[in-house]
Amino acid sequence: MSLAAEAFVSQIAEDQILLSDSASSLAVQTFLRMCGLPVQVSCCANAEYMSPSGKVPFIHVGNQVVSELGPIVQFIKAKGHSLSDGLDDVQRAEMKAYMELVNNMLLTAELYIQWCDDYTATEISRPRYSSPYSWPLNHILAYQKQWEVQRKMNAIGWSGKSLEQVYEDVSQCCQALSQRLGTQPYFFNKQPTELDALVFGHLFTILTTQLTNDELAEKVKSYTNLLSFCHRIEHTYFKEHDRESQSGSPHHYKGSLP
Amino acid sequence: MNNADRILRAYAKFSGAKLAVKSIDWTWRTITASVPQLHYEGSTVTEPAQILNFLRKQRFNADYELTAKQGADTMAYIALLEEKLRPALLHTFWVDAENYVNLTRPWFTSHSPFPLNFFVPGRQASLALSRILLTKAESPLLNITEVEGKIYSEAKECLNLLSHRLGNFHFFFGDTPTSLDAFVFGHIAPLIKAPLPSGQLQKHLNQLDNLCQFCNTILKNYFTDASAEKRMDCSLTAPHDPVDANLQKLTQLVNKESNLIEKMDDNLRSSPQHRHETKPSARASERNSPLLSKH
Repeated sequence: MSLAAEAFVSQIAEDQILLSDSASSLAVQTFLRMCGLPVQVSCCANAEYMSPSGKVPFIHVGNQVVSELGPIVQFIKAKGHSLSDGLDDVQRAEMKAYMELVNNMLLTAELYIQWCDDYTATEISRPRYSSPYSWPLNHILAYQKQWEVQRKMNAIGWSGKSLEQVYEDVSQCCQALSQRLGTQPYFFNKQPTELDALVFGHLFTILTTQLTNDELAEKVKSYTNLLSFCHRIEHTYFKEHDRESQSGSPHHYKGSLP
Repeated sequence: MNNADRILRAYAKFSGAKLAVKSIDWTWRTITASVPQLHYEGSTVTEPAQILNFLRKQRFNADYELTAKQGADTMAYIALLEEKLRPALLHTFWVDAENYVNLTRPWFTSHSPFPLNFFVPGRQASLALSRILLTKAESPLLNITEVEGKIYSEAKECLNLLSHRLGNFHFFFGDTPTSLDAFVFGHIAPLIKAPLPSGQLQKHLNQLDNLCQFCNTILKNYFTDASAEKRMDCSLTAPHDPVDANLQKLTQLVNKESNLIEKMDDNLRSSPQHRHETKPSARASERNSPLLSKH
């Protein structure tokens, strides 16, 4: 049974989107492509507010709207497409654990760097986030978002961390992923799963986004098997759609993979 | 923090570090300083993950025999625990009204000196609530009741995953315990042992035999030597018997260094690299309220 209509992935507009949202969106796009489903990306400035859970990206298929990778995977599974059917219980447990690791470490680190590091927040995050709005709404929304993220960092204990410690955490996370991947093509050998989509989404975005400095990208680049993993997935699932339009290409406001 | 106590004590047992546990009888410091803290030769380390790193560097390493992949798995599973299980545990002990009023708060109150017993439990409860709401509740779900369903189902799934992963083995990586075992034990031990009035998560956990077995094995092998003396102290806190039996097991360790040394000899096999060295002494200071309360 296939999806009746094409899936539309909605995300925030190209020059407004930030690193963490872009990573999540790319992960979903990759997952849908891995399932062999046609996907179109549409961008709007208020995508966050359109989403049922307040987070981007979300997909709408027919008249249903589902947001965030976890629920999207389950939704697609209910429609009959699944990447992780071949895994046994222990492997599925491992896959979920690694997905949590990525969410816990990489996503939180991305949010921290965007919003809790003053320099990045002032130079990049706030201007981009507030770009479609006029004064004074742009200031209000940007500061509100920043305050929200800082509160969350506080609650999980990341607010006491320095930038170096965050880079160190990212490095450890990449090391764990690199060790798990080893020399295999995908995390669970021959077949890609949602874990591969998630890792690709985050790593690719980190590698190709220009922040105030390149340290984050450098940390990822030092793991050669992760780099070749990203190349492989980009080549397999994105190259044939490499057009100038937004809907196929994962290259947004960034360059291409080194 | 008490979660961290348990994790650290378990890890210390597994790796053979000689920890003199000093219970701080007054909880003033919990307001300003963070416990548990590890004091060693003048320097102080806090936070369980950093203390574990510190112990590893000092050669008390229960993860010595793990492969690189297993080390990576450890990190992943710890992240899974933190993300999926912890919110539900926080909720069970601190936010669920029945449990909080009947178990957590009285226990805390009876173990804290005046006047802290008036506001410390409340503060922990509100911290727990805010943590759950900020990390799990998205903007339409600002009400805790709506988030409850979600966090409990995630926690049950997490417990199932752990159970699948453990299978029939004694520990997560073979026959010797590692830091992952310490983490898992630290999280599920209170859930198994505490007499919760309303504990749907507890019921779910009791159905997973291998996890209960795992927990009991660790308690039996690493924490029982002092249990005989505990029983005499239990009479003072009769209403919470099974709870305090475990509490006393842990607090009595303070005075029983010889027991610790015996356990360390048994555990030496898990840290081969310092078999021939003398062990430096490390002191961990923590509050006198470890097992039950969690946040």
